[in-house]
Amino acid sequence: MTGYCASRLVTGVLGWNGHCLRAPSTVPLILQIRNTFILQRRTPPGLTKKNKRPKLRSRHYVYDLVEDTNLRKQENLNVILTSYVQGFGVKGDRVSVKPKLAYEKLLLPGLAVYATRENVKMYEESVDKEEKTPAFSSASVERTVGILSRQILAVVMNLETEWTLQPWHLRISFRKAGFIVPEYAIELPEEPIKGPNLDLEGKEFKITVTINKSETVPVRCRIHHWSTNPGDRLPYVQDHWQQTAEPLFPDNQKSFQSDQ
Amino acid sequence: MSKIPFNATYIKRFVPDAPFIRGRPGEVLPEAYKKFWREWKIQKPKPVHYIAEPGRWKRNPETGEVSKVQNVPIPLKFPKDSHQQLWGGEGVIQGYQKKGKYNHRVPHFWVPNLKSTIVYSEILNKYMTVVVADNTMKLIHENFGFDHYILKTPACDLQSDLALKLKRKLLTALNNKDLNHESQEKNEMVYEKYKQYLSKYTAEEIEWYGLTMEEALTKYNQEKEDRKTIEPLKLQYRLDLIQELLERGGETEPVPEEKKSWLLRINPFHSKKS
Repeated sequence: MTGYCASRLVTGVLGWNGHCLRAPSTVPLILQIRNTFILQRRTPPGLTKKNKRPKLRSRHYVYDLVEDTNLRKQENLNVILTSYVQGFGVKGDRVSVKPKLAYEKLLLPGLAVYATRENVKMYEESVDKEEKTPAFSSASVERTVGILSRQILAVVMNLETEWTLQPWHLRISFRKAGFIVPEYAIELPEEPIKGPNLDLEGKEFKITVTINKSETVPVRCRIHHWSTNPGDRLPYVQDHWQQTAEPLFPDNQKSFQSDQ
Repeated sequence: MSKIPFNATYIKRFVPDAPFIRGRPGEVLPEAYKKFWREWKIQKPKPVHYIAEPGRWKRNPETGEVSKVQNVPIPLKFPKDSHQQLWGGEGVIQGYQKKGKYNHRVPHFWVPNLKSTIVYSEILNKYMTVVVADNTMKLIHENFGFDHYILKTPACDLQSDLALKLKRKLLTALNNKDLNHESQEKNEMVYEKYKQYLSKYTAEEIEWYGLTMEEALTKYNQEKEDRKTIEPLKLQYRLDLIQELLERGGETEPVPEEKKSWLLRINPFHSKKS
């Protein structure tokens, strides 16, 4: 939806000077766009006889604003999906969404219908179980897969103490990046990665993340060494994820390159 | 009953069918159009900008006095542009605001919030860009579809010319079963869905629905012209001749030939050979 300025309309009704309500002026008056509203008369007009028009004086045109309906909380619209829609659900699902979103994204393109009695029978109840089995285990899986596949995870490890890469290291790296990934969902590469080893600095390896115990995504990770002593820290690389990195396991170079 | 003059612009008491009174141009229009007119101009529109008090009588809580309930609607203005948009029964309100006891009343215009959107008509199978008020979208959602909204609401609540013309188009498309979907099955499905709205109107009423007074008069005059058949004049002359002969009563005396002068009897093209 795009906003529509009401100024052009009102020029015909209102003059240049707000008090003089005469012929339209050539100079456009840019008004604030008013919302839908409910008004009440300050002075109610007297009772009139049958089939007679009420005599309205100027005092009867003084109104008070009772309510601005635009300021009410928007009630959600119930719609039934007619096909799988990413982020909403599967065919036959009843979805409760804000009216503008429902209208623009679902109803107009024909991906959903209003939840009337007839439509409920047609779409929700009559859909076969086979048809209803989703392509993904839940509504947000497709989006999560997309985000994780584009992610280059910075795995920050200690420069002094000895370590072997474990799932909890990656869980913490994911947490820092804004992902909540349990340890059982992380699968490390077959060969263990040990350090600190500056040969591994900035090199890329792959891990597998399992979503909802069903869908799997390969995630690219890069090791960065970090010291508690600021003097020993390695120089900061700006936007390290925009630069290409060498693979950690050169044997897997072919598959690595094809994925990149 | 006294004949109201042709150019009378005032009527002190409220006469519902004023444009159709004897002596006015609307006199000739059929009952089908009058039905639409009553639905459009005479029927009281649903209150949009005020809350109507329910019931017909109310009692004063202090004195116990009973008085009548009369809901005087807030007069609305419809600018020219509004007739190319769908305002859903809303209009511009011209009035005053009086913020405090010692403040003088100040003129104020309450204008609806308008947005440009796309609207889909299932009957016409068309997506249309229209400028719409917020209230209109709420009404479309409440009625579970644009076509349902247009066909359900009476003309007095639709108000804008565009809405009325759309309603006319929808009704004629349904009446003539002129639906343009991909398959015949889909056409039938759409027809079954909306045919309930045809029961309110006859075919003639749909023909006259959504026309302004001028358009209705033009239509009537056009139909009148079309009914006239143009016959060749010779047929009329033949009839006149037969009539004349019958009037003469079958006189057998030949009509005497007028005597021509000798000049007229000369034929300059007469051949000398014979």
